[in-house]
Amino acid sequence: MFLINCPYCGERDQSEFSAGGEAHIERPKQPTELSDDQWAEFLFMRKNIKGIQYERWNHTHGCRKWFNMVRDTSNDKIHAVYKMGEKPPVK
Amino acid sequence: MSKNLRITNNNFIDQTSRISFKFDGKTLYGFKGDTLASALLANNIHLVGRSFKYHRPRGIMTCGSEEPNAILQIGNDSSMTEPNTRATEIELYEGLEASSQNCWPSVNFDIGAINNFFSPLIPAAFYYKTFMWPANFWKLYEYFIRKSAGLGRSPTEPDKDIYDHRYLHCDVLIVGGGISGIMAAKTAAKNNLNTVLIDDKNILGGTTLFQQNECFKINNSYSNEWLKKEIETLNSFNNLTIKTRTTLAAYHSYNYLLARENLTDHLDLKDKKDKIRQRLWKIRAKKVIIATGAMERPLIFDNNDRPGIFLSSSIKKYIDFYGVKCGQKISLFTNNDSAYETAISLNNRGVSVNSVVDIRDKTNSLIVKQVEKLGIKIHWKSSVINTNGYKKINCIEIMKLSDDGTAAVGKKINEECDCLGISGGWTPRVHLFTQSGGKLKFRDEDNVFLPDKSELSQISIGSCNGDFELDEVVKNSVNLTNKFLNVNNNDYENLEIIASKEIDKKNIWLLPSDKPLGKTKPFLDFQNDSTANDIKLALREGFKSIEHVKRYTTTGMATDQGKLSNMHALGIIAETAGVKMGELGTTTFRPPYTPLTFGAIVGRNVGEFFDITRKTPIHDWHVKNKAEFENVGQWKRAWYYPRSNENMHEAVQRESKAARDSAGILDASTLGKIDIQGTDASEFLNRVYTNAWSKLEIGKCRYGLMLNEDGMVYDDGVTTRLSENHYLMTTTTGGAANVLSKMEDYLQTEWPELDVYLTSVTDHYATVSICGPNSKKILSKVIPNLDLSDKKFPHMSFKNALIDNIKCRVMRISFTGEHSYEINIQSSYGKSTWEKCIDAGKEFNITPYGTETMHLLRAEKGFIIAGQDTDGTMTPVDLQMDWIISKKKYDFIGKRSLYRSDTIREDRKQLVGLLTDDPKEILEEGAQIVSETNKQPIEMLGHVTSSYFSPNLNKSIALAVLKNGKKLKGQKMIVPMKDKKINVTVTDTIFLDKENKRLNA
Amino acid sequence: MLNYNSPILDSKNYSGLKISVIEPIIKINLRGKNRDFITKIGKELSIIPPTEANTSSGNENLNILWLSPDEWLIYSNNKIDFKNNNSLEDKLFNEISKVKLGAVTNVTDHWIMINLKGEKVFELLSGGCPYNFNDFKNLKGSVTQTLVNHIDVIIHNKDINDLNLFVRRSFSEHLWSWINDGSRFI
Repeated sequence: MFLINCPYCGERDQSEFSAGGEAHIERPKQPTELSDDQWAEFLFMRKNIKGIQYERWNHTHGCRKWFNMVRDTSNDKIHAVYKMGEKPPVK
Repeated sequence: MSKNLRITNNNFIDQTSRISFKFDGKTLYGFKGDTLASALLANNIHLVGRSFKYHRPRGIMTCGSEEPNAILQIGNDSSMTEPNTRATEIELYEGLEASSQNCWPSVNFDIGAINNFFSPLIPAAFYYKTFMWPANFWKLYEYFIRKSAGLGRSPTEPDKDIYDHRYLHCDVLIVGGGISGIMAAKTAAKNNLNTVLIDDKNILGGTTLFQQNECFKINNSYSNEWLKKEIETLNSFNNLTIKTRTTLAAYHSYNYLLARENLTDHLDLKDKKDKIRQRLWKIRAKKVIIATGAMERPLIFDNNDRPGIFLSSSIKKYIDFYGVKCGQKISLFTNNDSAYETAISLNNRGVSVNSVVDIRDKTNSLIVKQVEKLGIKIHWKSSVINTNGYKKINCIEIMKLSDDGTAAVGKKINEECDCLGISGGWTPRVHLFTQSGGKLKFRDEDNVFLPDKSELSQISIGSCNGDFELDEVVKNSVNLTNKFLNVNNNDYENLEIIASKEIDKKNIWLLPSDKPLGKTKPFLDFQNDSTANDIKLALREGFKSIEHVKRYTTTGMATDQGKLSNMHALGIIAETAGVKMGELGTTTFRPPYTPLTFGAIVGRNVGEFFDITRKTPIHDWHVKNKAEFENVGQWKRAWYYPRSNENMHEAVQRESKAARDSAGILDASTLGKIDIQGTDASEFLNRVYTNAWSKLEIGKCRYGLMLNEDGMVYDDGVTTRLSENHYLMTTTTGGAANVLSKMEDYLQTEWPELDVYLTSVTDHYATVSICGPNSKKILSKVIPNLDLSDKKFPHMSFKNALIDNIKCRVMRISFTGEHSYEINIQSSYGKSTWEKCIDAGKEFNITPYGTETMHLLRAEKGFIIAGQDTDGTMTPVDLQMDWIISKKKYDFIGKRSLYRSDTIREDRKQLVGLLTDDPKEILEEGAQIVSETNKQPIEMLGHVTSSYFSPNLNKSIALAVLKNGKKLKGQKMIVPMKDKKINVTVTDTIFLDKENKRLNA
Repeated sequence: MLNYNSPILDSKNYSGLKISVIEPIIKINLRGKNRDFITKIGKELSIIPPTEANTSSGNENLNILWLSPDEWLIYSNNKIDFKNNNSLEDKLFNEISKVKLGAVTNVTDHWIMINLKGEKVFELLSGGCPYNFNDFKNLKGSVTQTLVNHIDVIIHNKDINDLNLFVRRSFSEHLWSWINDGSRFI
């Protein structure tokens, strides 16, 4: 059970949060201009990294804010959390 | 049995308070402070069980959680009995009933013991290999195997005991109350840290607590006396919580740990009632100090499993702590110095020690010299090669070891004994460290795995960190603790410590025998009955990975997770395969450290609290009017309201007819309601719904369909424009939380530029829905001053109103196809409003209806229920709802996906209506639809999603999804059932009032 | 005449714990992002909405709890009669929502307020709440949103060992029952 440092509320138990998949996948501004393949790339293709992964999380049972997290999936260590719209620490 | 095996020992056992208990039906006596194991031993009972595979007699072997043999059934009650408990961990209480498990008809005469004589025929993986085929015979085999492999009996009735969970947050958690843990706890507490110390025993102090030996002194006192004073000082700290009888079960990442506290297991049977039996502590610690100590290893030689063979340190604890003699003529067999401590303890208590057999050439440590001084014989460079005695050891065979240790040489000496203590060195308890993700390192000099790297804020101190000498334990524990806590406690700086130091070390994983290996029984895993030979066989058969060998031989897979056997298994594998142990790695230790009861795991989440229930503001009325309830998510919804002897079908038929003939009333409070405000609210709705919203007039309602980005229908509902920038959205009951969360997600991440605020008001409003041709007349009685004319208050519009000065919103919307209104009023007045409508509707036979009738009525109209007629694979086009997809909007969630190559396929499964040829035949929801049944394989074309008998149409109707369904209208299909084939015709989805005349009736 | 109904209107005394439902009181949800919004609320209520996470502000009549960087909950200290009083909601709605400064939503019946008082309150909560109250309990006015027995709650630390807990109305009976059950174990 992780201890997650919500960028708004501080350290909370993982049970207050829900995970939202890979971060930094922007919804295309003009979906109609995209080919099926390009759209499928946005819609379905997600990385599943062993190691450093950028993820979206939501403080569902707290402030309801979404934020990003850098997590090492091999040992569950959380390297950073940062607000939506902020630049990832290293990428 | 008149032997006096109990010596006077006033320290830990209260010999004035006698306790009676039963073992295998026989009444026996022990004392307060005993464990079940020590009490049995005091009664000269060694044989307590039969081994798992060969049914060999087995006795108590240890004094702690690593016990592999004394696995007993506790209690006789059909609800409270508990299998697989360790006698060494059960504190004796008045009324305790225990029995042996793996034997039939009794532990003394066990039919299964015949397996022992056939044991050459039952090698590793015998069951896997033999009962593999014919495959369909397994059922038969399993019955007999399970019956003869006794694993105890499960209770057959619900557990009457109470269990609890607690969260606990602390600065420092110390696991283990031995000498290291106590010093660490004091250090932490003294420095104002919020500290918790837990220990699985009923009393702190670990093994030092009964270490009264000239060779181990601190500041000129025996180490036990010094420690007792330290323990006393702990009481003065308010910021230190001490929990005894508490076992750390699991150590997860982020220093999240689970510990099980036993609260009543030690109480007399009559005192256990109405108290919490066990509590599971969910601990979040900033820092963790593991001080779990070490376990003694057995030695692996022929017939090392007979009752009467103990770990030598256990014999010491039984005599020093419990005052129980494990035998009258005790022999010891060791490869290290610790058996000599046992020899001294026994000698001090007047128990004769035959001899110590030591595989080392000769050693001169302080403690060995002391034993020599006592005149106890030591067989140097020797090994016990075999033992004798069927139900109890009576003799050991000793031979000299060859120089390389691989053979037994010279003359065989037989030594009579009634008890043998074995010591193969010590294994640090690193289980918790590895559970937490820590990596181990191997120390060659004494063959131990030690904590190495960890990502967490934790340290291991004392013997679980590989310090086995008293002076090192103290020095290193203190230094590590100070450094870890960043404090400087100098209480322990200038201690004068006398400690016998072990000088010589020698280890042989599998001791030699004078017989060939195949003829011996050197047991490794006592609980799962696997021998060193099984490991060798697995290696011969080509298994290389330790994880594979473990599973193939089942070594380390019993309830003790191989606490005693793993190191030897690894050693023998390494030796046989010619690799270094450090490179071989270990198997994974998984939580829990010792087995947890199901009760402790579920805690209070049983009965009423098994799942959360949500109730509407009108719930009490439904209960009072005898509604049957249906679970919809966590909600309790009125399902139908049976009258007198009505069954469900009859009630639903009556309710459905009444709603269409005159008036019906439904509690729709569970629908999700979201208040939407902001200057971009209309634009936001344009983006989340498939249809257009900008032009919706203020005061009007519109049905909306929400898709996932993949184009599949996600949720639906009616949204009302309350004012220019203010909307009220409704969602399905089950979708409420997800819809809100999804919309928040888009607002916060994709469209932060939109000025829109979402607030859930689901619970703020009660929703009373009145439908039917008389609904207008009823509403006009409830709200007399509201103009209900079609002109002023048309279908799909809303009005603000007052009922008895309470504000409410009335929407004229319909999910049944009838003229219908929904009153949304503050929940506090929901029940009263409902009652007012019932009163007003009495003259029109207003009929409360539940979810089942609601489903039937909407199916007559072909309205979908998201989640029943859709399953995440249906697009609006599949649902034949093309009309709701705006062609003008540039974008909305899911739009692009609606013309992916797959979603534009014409032969997708599509929503259709089905009519049975026999109008009385009701289809089963979920039933498959096929076009023919003769040609194999039969292609499944779709399935029934909703099916009812419509009283208004007097025939059975159904909705279904069907491949290429749109084009199949009018075609015949078959719904094959177990005992018949039902002929159906594909139809339109709307069965009633296609022209929507009833909406304005 | 419409009658007022609360799912629970009760109070119980246990050793070291007193629990009571305090209703009806006004509850209003505020949403807003810019400085003008904060200023306007401050002007209308004479209380500035707190911008520091997990805190509250208030006076003898009203409390404003921080819920997120753009969300607050107002609740009244005193019981009121709704039949004759919608003034606060109307006033704020007109001054905030109408002029596009943010959103004002009446959530009076969305939440039920349970007062928990006594030296055992935190022990009670620890039976089903993963939140670390160690610092919270000493900070008067602190606020947290978390889970109790898997149910979303807002907890406001009114005073030492005196908490106001907000739970959604539909969950309130279940949580009330759980709290009463839990009182056996403290």
